[in-house]
Amino acid sequence: MSEVTQTGGRSGIFGWMSNPVHLTRLAIHFGIFASFMSVWEWASRTGRLNDLIMPGPIAIADAIWRLYFATGEIYWHFFVTMFEAVAGFTIGGLIGLGLAIAAALSMTFRRYIAPYAVALNVTPGIAVTPIFIAWFGFGWNSKIALASLIVFFPIFVNTLSGLLRVDRDTMELFRSLGAKKSQIFFKLMLPEAAPMIFAGFKVAITTALVGAIVAEFASATEGIGILMQRYAHRLDIAASIAVLFSMSLMGLILYTLMEMTDRRLVFWQHADRLDRVGHRRFKKLMRLRSRGTRKPLGVSRRAQD
Amino acid sequence: MEHETIPGIGKSGTFSWGRIAKHMAILFVLLAVWEYVTATGIADELMFPQPTEIVLSVWPLYGSPGIVWYHLWVTMATVLAGFVVGTVLGIVLAALVGMSESTRRYLQPYIIILEATPRIAMGPLVLAWLGFGFGAKLAIVTLVCFFAPFVNTLTGILSANEPQIELMKSMGASKWQILTKAMVPDAMPLIMAGIRLAMASALGGALVAEFISSNDGMGVLMQNLTAVLNMPAAFATLLSLTIVGFILYRLMEMIEGTVVFWQNDDGMRRASRRREKYWRSL
Repeated sequence: MSEVTQTGGRSGIFGWMSNPVHLTRLAIHFGIFASFMSVWEWASRTGRLNDLIMPGPIAIADAIWRLYFATGEIYWHFFVTMFEAVAGFTIGGLIGLGLAIAAALSMTFRRYIAPYAVALNVTPGIAVTPIFIAWFGFGWNSKIALASLIVFFPIFVNTLSGLLRVDRDTMELFRSLGAKKSQIFFKLMLPEAAPMIFAGFKVAITTALVGAIVAEFASATEGIGILMQRYAHRLDIAASIAVLFSMSLMGLILYTLMEMTDRRLVFWQHADRLDRVGHRRFKKLMRLRSRGTRKPLGVSRRAQD
Repeated sequence: MEHETIPGIGKSGTFSWGRIAKHMAILFVLLAVWEYVTATGIADELMFPQPTEIVLSVWPLYGSPGIVWYHLWVTMATVLAGFVVGTVLGIVLAALVGMSESTRRYLQPYIIILEATPRIAMGPLVLAWLGFGFGAKLAIVTLVCFFAPFVNTLTGILSANEPQIELMKSMGASKWQILTKAMVPDAMPLIMAGIRLAMASALGGALVAEFISSNDGMGVLMQNLTAVLNMPAAFATLLSLTIVGFILYRLMEMIEGTVVFWQNDDGMRRASRRREKYWRSL
């Protein structure tokens, strides 16, 4: 997978495929996959694998078909859990970001909030589930609350350490050139911290999903977690593995969305994105110049005056 | 690599009684406000128990009936056993996989898929396989603890210092020697980070396992206490989980300090002192 991302820049998959080494590797990958699947299927057909323990791949595929196409009952549960995770992520993320920014700007605040943040970190957030269910009820709210609780810490810590990582000399330079506090924050600290903040977001989004699912295990009426538990209790293992796949799928979707946002917003950390954004900006600049503005490139109006 | 729980706070060097007093004052004010709010009925007493009630409920939990001890023992046994099995399995498998390049390449897609799956989510499935009881709980904690050490060990081994290994090879080192003398020490900081992550998630994993099926353990205790709306006791239980988590965290920090002593000044000083003593005694 990493090779695809390394070599497959803009030339696409065909350039990658034309390399014979890659083709053989791909063939071996498929060979391993196919033989693994057929051995598994054979074992479950002949009864060497108990159906109650591990159904064969065809049974699982059938269950996936049933869930997604024949009855389509998974979509609603899928949506519920995803909504809970994203809502929890948003709430916990906003609180974490806000507190981290406050802590980065004020030493005193940082010092006095530290013990509580540590206590929150060492408490397994999941342990709070029963209390949250008592507080917020069996519906969506308790799941959202749990997700936002366990999302808080990674975002808080990453944002704080990102904001504090600013180079002292650059800060001095900003100050000596008379930058306002808000300018220092928005033009220096925030861009500097952005890669770390997004690293925190990426960890947190999958954590939020885990929080939502666990809260559903504890008690829920709808959501992908309770769906899985229901199937497991009915010993319909094939369906419950199909639901598990959907959980991985949801994790992948959320993570990929985060990754895409990261590449868009923090473009200077990714070489190919940087190229593209640089190219776009250069073109825009050239267009402006050809429109007849006779100013030399890269000199703003104020500097000219 | 610096390890601060909260970045930007100086470590123990800046300890002063004045600051401790201020911290205490803030905590006291917070608790007083909480007490006042619940005592006057602004917040529901049933949902948000008063701090004094919580303190009072510590006694029945720990003291005369002392119900917490048994559950604490069960949970800790699960956590520690699962943690040990999971990390050992993860590190050994990663070392095996890391040795051969083709194994690594052909396993990679499966590892990625497994990584994307929320591990705890496999709980009900494991339960259906192994039935209610200690075995299922152990399996869930093992599963939760497996991946962080596995992935970190693999990354650590993959980022090994190539010229160093070339040198060792040219001097006729065996594969085992290369692994134990070059790759593992190089990868050790990452491996320890993975182990720390595993420990951090182990307690959570055990609690989830207990939520979904069990008769004993802290998770069950919490659930029972909240089910009968004995919120003060539930909060006291939660607090004891915080303390347990803190102890485990500190323990891991200490172990890390001794194992990868070259990563921080304190451990470095201690190790060099120990070695000096040893050489003196010879």
